[in-house]
Amino acid sequence: MGKPKALVDKGKCLACGGCISVCPQDAIAMCSSKAIVSKENCIDCGICIQTCPVGAIGNEVH
Amino acid sequence: MKYDVVVVGSGPAGSMTARFAAESGANVLIIERRQEVGVPVLCGEGISKGVDEFKVLEGKRWLANNMDGARIISPDGTMVKLAADMAGDETGYVLYRDIFDQELARGAIRAGAELMLNTCAVNILKENGKIKGVKAKQFGEEFDIEADIVVGADGVESKIGRWAGMKTTLKPYDLETCAQYTLSNVEFDRAYCDFYLGKKIAPGGYAWIFPKGKDIANVGVGILASLSEPGMSLKLLDKFINSRPELKKGEPLRFLAGAVPVAEPIESVRDNLLLVGDAARQVDPITGGGLMASIEAGKTAGETIGKAIDEQRFDKEMLLPYEEKLKNTLYKKLKRNYVVKEIILGMEDKTLNMLADSLKDYKFDELSTLSLVKALVLKHPSLLIKLKPLLKLSRL
Ligand SMILES: Cc1cc2nc3c(=O)[nH]c(=O)nc-3n(C[C@H](O)[C@H](O)[C@H](O)COP(=O)(O)OP(=O)(O)OC[C@H]3O[C@@H](n4cnc5c(N)ncnc54)[C@H](O)[C@@H]3O)c2cc1C
Ligand code: SF4
Ligand code: SF4
Repeated sequence: MGKPKALVDKGKCLACGGCISVCPQDAIAMCSSKAIVSKENCIDCGICIQTCPVGAIGNEVH
Repeated sequence: MKYDVVVVGSGPAGSMTARFAAESGANVLIIERRQEVGVPVLCGEGISKGVDEFKVLEGKRWLANNMDGARIISPDGTMVKLAADMAGDETGYVLYRDIFDQELARGAIRAGAELMLNTCAVNILKENGKIKGVKAKQFGEEFDIEADIVVGADGVESKIGRWAGMKTTLKPYDLETCAQYTLSNVEFDRAYCDFYLGKKIAPGGYAWIFPKGKDIANVGVGILASLSEPGMSLKLLDKFINSRPELKKGEPLRFLAGAVPVAEPIESVRDNLLLVGDAARQVDPITGGGLMASIEAGKTAGETIGKAIDEQRFDKEMLLPYEEKLKNTLYKKLKRNYVVKEIILGMEDKTLNMLADSLKDYKFDELSTLSLVKALVLKHPSLLIKLKPLLKLSRL
């Protein structure tokens, strides 16, 4: 089993940009009004998950 | 494509920078990834009357409601009122932020700036290590926009600064994470913006009711990201509304999530590059209000750029007067309020209740965070010790 990574639920994301501003790895970008995590850069620190005001980010195991 | 200046982002910071740069003769392009300026609205929409002094808004289409003042409600319900002496003597406004942003953008366009919608900056353009413009994407197609100066006015999530190698990442204790409904069919006093404090209501932040009209208000919660759990802002907001019958009967017309930097301003100038607004963390760390700061900083940035274009010099030294001027004005206030933010964060609910009780009949001479701090020190000289770093700052 691979390492867990943050994953944004596109149906819930409201494009506030909060997760992007706190990600220490610069692993998140806004694409067509949805935050998207780059799996290569994410170190699963969980900061974005904790920050999201609507709970749109969870973990995914690759 | 070649311009003197490319501004990334058409929020208040971008439009003000573009306007004042264009007015001083620069050839300016604004790029905005949204398809409509100011939409969706991500804002509580409150602003102080001080905005009038900038004379950048025409007509009143942007104005939703005149405010007499603000009220702070402590955890046990004690109310501190900051208001103008005379009723009807307005101290601030609640905006239609979409129209407000469009008016500011219109001002920039009238001054000669061009605006390209649906256009997202995807990287910085560099040649031999020197910034030369931005790489942009529109409808799936990438292209280069060359410019002597790149302005990062790309808001809280700002990438321009990061791409240029600046440290813009926010610590979770320097970010408020927010949720807000615009509720219709609710009851409140439409003359006041209300701020509710308390660890149970909004840890490290506050809940707000900003009235937009007779029975419409923005009702939101902002909490410190370091004290947040997944989805907590929204849960606390629903709880806040459900515990108040006058709000519970309301129906939402709009829902939004938001993020506000409550940090100290960061480095904002490099060769050929400037950051403005939320991107430069120019936000009042106590209130989370960034509109006035963006407007003030944007104007200064635009004027500095104008001079740089005149002299055809775009190095850091040439652009630095922007930051230097703000250090003597806006940044003094922001740095002072950052210290106050840290003091407030350290307070227990019972301390907040005690302070509110001591101020509940106080007559404030003006509506500002400074007058609030002054009143607190007057009533509680012991606070002076905690505020020492702050006094040093105000003497700067
Ligand atoms: C919930 C909430 C409530 C708030 N309430 C208030 C309030 O009541 N009063 C107040 O004064 N302030 C308030 N603020 C803060 C205020 O909204 C901001 O400080 C203000 O919007 C900053 O303006 P700006 O121009 O720097 O950024 P923004 O207004 O965020 O504009 C940035 C623009 O850049 C665009 N952009 C971003 N990246 C790119 C890219 N790569 N390419 C192209 N375009 C891009 C975005 O689409 C956006 O249009 C609130 C904020 C939030 C989240
Ligand atoms: S914090 Fe949540 S709502 Fe905001 S952009 Fe990130 S995933 Fe979307
Ligand atoms: S888990 Fe950490 S590293 Fe991964 S995207 Fe979220 S904030 Fe960035």
